Amino acid sequence: MPDRIRVLSVLVEDGPNTLSKVSGVIRRRGFHVRSISVGPSQEPGRSRLTLQVDHGHAEADQVRKQLERLVEVVEVEDLTGHEVHSRELVVAKVSASEVPSLVERGARVLDSGPSGTTVEFAGEGKDVGDFVDELLRHGIVDVARSGPVVMRRTA
Amino acid sequence: MVLQALEREGVELIFGYPGGANLPIYQRLPNHPKLKHILVRHEQGAAHMADGYARACGKPGVVFATSGPGALNLVTGLCTAYMDSVPMIAITGQVNSTQVGRDAFQESDVIGATSSVTKHSYLVTKIDQLPRVIHEAFHIATTGRPGPVLIDICKDVQQAEAESVPHERLEIPGYKLNGHVDLDRAKEAAIALATAERPVVLAGHGVLLSHAEEALRELAERAAVPVGTTLLGIGAFPVNHPLSLHMTGFMGTGWNLKAVQNADVLMMVGMRVDDRVTAKLADFAPQVRTFIHIDIDGSEMGKNVRPQIELVADAKQAINAILPHLPEPEKGRGTWLAQIDAWREEHPLRYTHSNGHLQPQDVLIDMYKRCRNEAIVVADVGQNQIWAALWWNYDRPGLFLNSGGSGTMGFALPAAIGAKFARPELPVWCVAGEGGFVMTAQELSVAVEHQLDVKIVLLNNFSLGMVRQFQDDFYGGVRSQVDLTHMPDFVKLAEAYGLPARRVEKFSEIAPAMDAAERIKGPFLIDFRIDPEANVYPIVPLGKSLNDFWEAPESNA
Repeated sequence: MPDRIRVLSVLVEDGPNTLSKVSGVIRRRGFHVRSISVGPSQEPGRSRLTLQVDHGHAEADQVRKQLERLVEVVEVEDLTGHEVHSRELVVAKVSASEVPSLVERGARVLDSGPSGTTVEFAGEGKDVGDFVDELLRHGIVDVARSGPVVMRRTA
Repeated sequence: MVLQALEREGVELIFGYPGGANLPIYQRLPNHPKLKHILVRHEQGAAHMADGYARACGKPGVVFATSGPGALNLVTGLCTAYMDSVPMIAITGQVNSTQVGRDAFQESDVIGATSSVTKHSYLVTKIDQLPRVIHEAFHIATTGRPGPVLIDICKDVQQAEAESVPHERLEIPGYKLNGHVDLDRAKEAAIALATAERPVVLAGHGVLLSHAEEALRELAERAAVPVGTTLLGIGAFPVNHPLSLHMTGFMGTGWNLKAVQNADVLMMVGMRVDDRVTAKLADFAPQVRTFIHIDIDGSEMGKNVRPQIELVADAKQAINAILPHLPEPEKGRGTWLAQIDAWREEHPLRYTHSNGHLQPQDVLIDMYKRCRNEAIVVADVGQNQIWAALWWNYDRPGLFLNSGGSGTMGFALPAAIGAKFARPELPVWCVAGEGGFVMTAQELSVAVEHQLDVKIVLLNNFSLGMVRQFQDDFYGGVRSQVDLTHMPDFVKLAEAYGLPARRVEKFSEIAPAMDAAERIKGPFLIDFRIDPEANVYPIVPLGKSLNDFWEAPESNA
């Protein structure tokens, strides 16, 4: 991962403007979103964003600081360089009806039939990348990938 | 319900313009005689008036506009306030909540269009949100680093009948105010200042916003540190004080720039350290070993210059935390202060006044003699702004208002009107070039309607002077699209609007025209036909370091 990428976990208030405010700040400050994933947090009315952001020409700590200025943003944790669990999900359709080598890699078969197989796989970004390379050998039909969700390691 | 909530927030004055999507509010306005409404002639004028009002009295300026074009006409004014941290509340009408997103008549995505120029914004689609939103908006606009907050209210919400319940609870988890000063850092800052050989303090708008002028003066005098201000910080430190470095930045005074470039410790208070202050960033204050940065907005730390000592706090609280730790300077400051005095002698402010043309500085010097520190000067943007900044010795805060960060031409007249509403007891002078003046000149009607004692000093050089100067000096001398020969006769224009005016072409006519301006109650305009070649000096060539400032030609001194 290039040095200019910051990995942030951002707790936000749910609201119609939140995502556009967050992305607006990122664009306006010359940053660039590499990946984003959003989902509900354990607190009602709040969501957790996991962002990978290229900070461009700005100072690295500006990403966190500019996001913190938003009233919609409750908390920002800059996880760059920390020991984290980073997981990505891929769901893919392949033309093969049998995919033993994918299952061996840890893929789960969601459905299969004569027209092909749908599998899911979760892992670190690199493992997901390798898995997608492997899919090519099985006649890849469609792939959907999530951005990573990241959490600091317990110890 | 909107109006009741505004009354609860202590609003007395609203600048606005009605239209289809805010008619329900205007229908109820006559029932609220405590809310005085000023009908502007263009929504941009309303935003600048509210801005000038807020800058002059510290209370948030309030603006009304309708949806679509009405709201979008506010954008420049919101940006002006946002860049300069001015508290403002903009209440815009939006189409009915059921019509949002259907491209209804005069619908526009006002939240989307204004997000980057507001501190915060709300779209109100339900009546029960309104009391909380309005209360929060005033809190957010006026606390921490102030700024404009926009409330976009759907028309059906404005129409809804509901009991107006005061909302007093504030629960905004994402809005954190930096409350306490890190005392260890404050002590470090004190020691760094006291042990410096060549310290300099620069003061920005944050000093004025936190009313830290007295504390700053005490710090400067105790530590024998010279103090300069940014363009927006003018008034934070008396220009006539022996420790004053006057204005910094790429059109700052020579002695200020010399001091900054030779300083070993630089304390920057309540300022953004933007490119107009630093000029070429890599060469800014190259001898400094300790930068101390005080700002209430943590994102300013290291945004442009990485400080060794950071104090994320209100300027006054931070300075007050530094003061007790300030020992007498360990080394005598005599040499450093003597050096600065020598630079002051060597690089005085000067201007050409022997070419037969009327000089803008002569106009301002005459004005200053009359007003001293008993008037508010509102400048526009361009040469007029820098002349007004440099050729007055502002001694107190709040006397010089201008659009510093955004550099919005057309700011001065409406902002001066707003300032006059805020401080009716003080004379208000509007200094503008003819280029900026015509951008919002329609607001003359407001000055006439309310017989506001606003004196308009037009520094008319028949061109976009600052652009012309840049083209002459930095763009190969190609004068491109800066000629403003074809302008209205400003005396007749003023008369058409219903205010008296004069034209001045000679030095000897300055004083009589100013006498008339002071004598006649109500608005007055003087069209000063100034030297079309007059330039702003000192100036740092674009892209160069502060060391490379150019001065006015010496032969003309």
